[in-house]
Amino acid sequence: MKLLIKITWLTALLFLINLLYPRFAFEAFLAEHADQYLQVQKIKNCDVIYLSASSNFASGLPTEKDPRKLSQFVADHFPKLRFEAINQPASHAGIHADILEMFRADAEAKTFIVTMNLRSFGPDWIHSELETPLRQAAVFYNNRPPLLNRLLASFRAYDDRSTEERHVLRREAWDNQALPFDAPRNNVTDWCAVEKWGDWRDPKRQLADQFIKQYAFVLNEENPRVKDFDRIAKMAEEEAWTVVFNILAENVETADSLVGKDLTSLMRRNTEWLVARYESIGFVVVNNLESVSHEHFTDKDFPTEHYDDVGRKIIAKNVAVGLSIAMANRRAHDH
Amino acid sequence: MLFNSLPFLIFLPSVVLLYYLLPHRSRWVVMLAASYFFYGYWKIEYLTLIVASTTVDYFAARLIYSSEAVIKKRIGLAMSLLSNLGLLAFFKYSGWVVEDIIDPIIGLSEGQLHQFHSLWDFVLPVGISFYTFQTLGYTIDVYYGKTAPERNPLKFALFVSYFPQLVAGPIERFSNLQRQLFEKVDFDYEHFQHGGRLILYGLFIKMCVADNVSPIVDQVFNQTEDASSLQLIFGMLLFGIQIYSDFHGYSLIAIGTARLFGVHLMDNFNAPYTSLSIREFWSRWHISLSTWFRDYLFIPLGGSRGGRMKLVVNISIVFLVSGLWHGANWTFVVWGGLHGAAYLLERWMAPNPSSNPIKMLRWALTMCIVFVAWIFFRSADLTHAIDFLSNMVSSDSKGLNLNWDPILPTLIGLFILSDLYFRDRSIHSWLATQSTLVRWSVYGLLLFFISGFAGAVQHPFIYFQF
Repeated sequence: MKLLIKITWLTALLFLINLLYPRFAFEAFLAEHADQYLQVQKIKNCDVIYLSASSNFASGLPTEKDPRKLSQFVADHFPKLRFEAINQPASHAGIHADILEMFRADAEAKTFIVTMNLRSFGPDWIHSELETPLRQAAVFYNNRPPLLNRLLASFRAYDDRSTEERHVLRREAWDNQALPFDAPRNNVTDWCAVEKWGDWRDPKRQLADQFIKQYAFVLNEENPRVKDFDRIAKMAEEEAWTVVFNILAENVETADSLVGKDLTSLMRRNTEWLVARYESIGFVVVNNLESVSHEHFTDKDFPTEHYDDVGRKIIAKNVAVGLSIAMANRRAHDH
Repeated sequence: MLFNSLPFLIFLPSVVLLYYLLPHRSRWVVMLAASYFFYGYWKIEYLTLIVASTTVDYFAARLIYSSEAVIKKRIGLAMSLLSNLGLLAFFKYSGWVVEDIIDPIIGLSEGQLHQFHSLWDFVLPVGISFYTFQTLGYTIDVYYGKTAPERNPLKFALFVSYFPQLVAGPIERFSNLQRQLFEKVDFDYEHFQHGGRLILYGLFIKMCVADNVSPIVDQVFNQTEDASSLQLIFGMLLFGIQIYSDFHGYSLIAIGTARLFGVHLMDNFNAPYTSLSIREFWSRWHISLSTWFRDYLFIPLGGSRGGRMKLVVNISIVFLVSGLWHGANWTFVVWGGLHGAAYLLERWMAPNPSSNPIKMLRWALTMCIVFVAWIFFRSADLTHAIDFLSNMVSSDSKGLNLNWDPILPTLIGLFILSDLYFRDRSIHSWLATQSTLVRWSVYGLLLFFISGFAGAVQHPFIYFQF
């Protein structure tokens, strides 16, 4: 009985604190560590939400004539619709799926453009050290009492593997994941070891290595990112959402000149696999893989999806076409 | 499995429940299984290391004990020393030896170094320095006839792998743990009160103090060139707070966890920053390690017998080995060397403080040495440490934009005050004398701080890497 009183006292104390806590300290914490949660609360009632990673941003280079985001270029094509974007560097379908969960309950937004970044399906991104903070932030996307969410985040109720552990996982994947070529190009590690650009200190060799590490993989249903997109697809079906998948442009020209046809064929094959998989279940998939030429990529020393304003506009135009088709399909389906 | 993780919050109550539900004779088997699960949860492959270390030490101790001939006893001891130190050398020191010792001497090519890095690409097994030292202590005790070896290999395996103190100590003696691990423990509410209080307070100082301080420390130490002199001094002081709250917090959780099973582990810290000398500091800081070095290195080397020169040599060895034990880097050697030098100087040159002003002066001087030595402990390499020190004296930089939580000064203040208040006693004994309302309000407050203000970027316990 005495213990029961003590526990009741403790519970009452914590309940009271849980009521007061969000008013004083919680929002500042979210603003710093789980900003996307706050973003979602502000834009739940928009018409179209664009979900992406850093590819949405302008490069900041002085040569850019139009410094707006890619999503804003898409919005230009639909002046009557309210567009908003949720973007965070290193974000991917797993995080986007968690964010979309927040739109399920009471949001007006029913149309989403979700970025499909080819690199995000590869081991380098899957086992990136940036995954830990992303997963920690995702704890707050659940509809639980604030103090409980904070407690779960504090006790690492998420995939909190260390940088070293993720590094080992990456290396294991590069060593062991089979590629459809004869040795030594049958895995990433061996392939990198025989690249043609001389010593590993040569910048060209380093860039070629990076291209292999980012794009040399074979997609199948077991890929964790594919499972994330499957989750998004299932959610869209359940909620009757209009979802467009946007496969971003990659620097295929540089991949071809630095590494060669084996790599570019793999990139095309994976992209086609994604298009076929999601189109077959009724989604519009915009394939931008080769839409942007080398000159419009702003990073020249690492493979990224960062484009200048011309590159962003090219992609936005293709996405706009895809979105128009998806919305027309939805209207037809509803009628 | 980390103490401040959700899996541990599920694991610990499950083990406690199972432990007290089962009859006494099978409890130690549950603890052994739980300990192996706890360690294997981190990385299952590394269980082979702890099994190997256990096996070698079990047979080494049996050989030492059963042999009449001195040579056989020595072979047994050598087996234990070679296997344990060999494990440490392979996993912990090989990279350092190749890069910082062999390479500067014979000049390896970049390609050879690159190849070495790709071969030596693994995560250091957690707690390897702790359990190897614990088992080494055991075989040395058997060798000197201080204890009889354990007959049952599985019971010995529990001594090596006992999960509350497996990954970062306290490094226990066989004579202290053996009896407690296997004696009958009745369910006792006092055990839970005692253990629970230590766990709660340990989580508070680890998660709310150490983890909130660490981003600032990282920022200052990673951007030494851009920090102002004042910020560097601040960073140095904060690192002292971080490492203490981190390791002290861990130790309290470990001791509290063992207490839930009725086991008393030795205290590891006792307000070390109140020390008036380096000698006192080492009697208050990481007590289980400093007493280990005293019992198994300093005394076997001859201790303070044999004149001043012998003492200098023995103290130097102990502190340099202690530095190296912490990590494979010259910075740790310098850190140990600084403490050793200060210890010796203090022993011969500083009189025992008599009046309060002199005590204050001694305290200030001791803290200067301790905190400056932390710079070496925290720096990536010697160049970094020297840059840090020189910028601390004269930095041209305007300073960093340090981003810290407004509640942090309150948390640090609470920690410092409680540390002073609980000097030479524990929070447990203080709480035991308070009214129910005060006690449970303190629990509520600690829980509130832990849930609402724990550091956002969790860092593994610093001593896990050692």
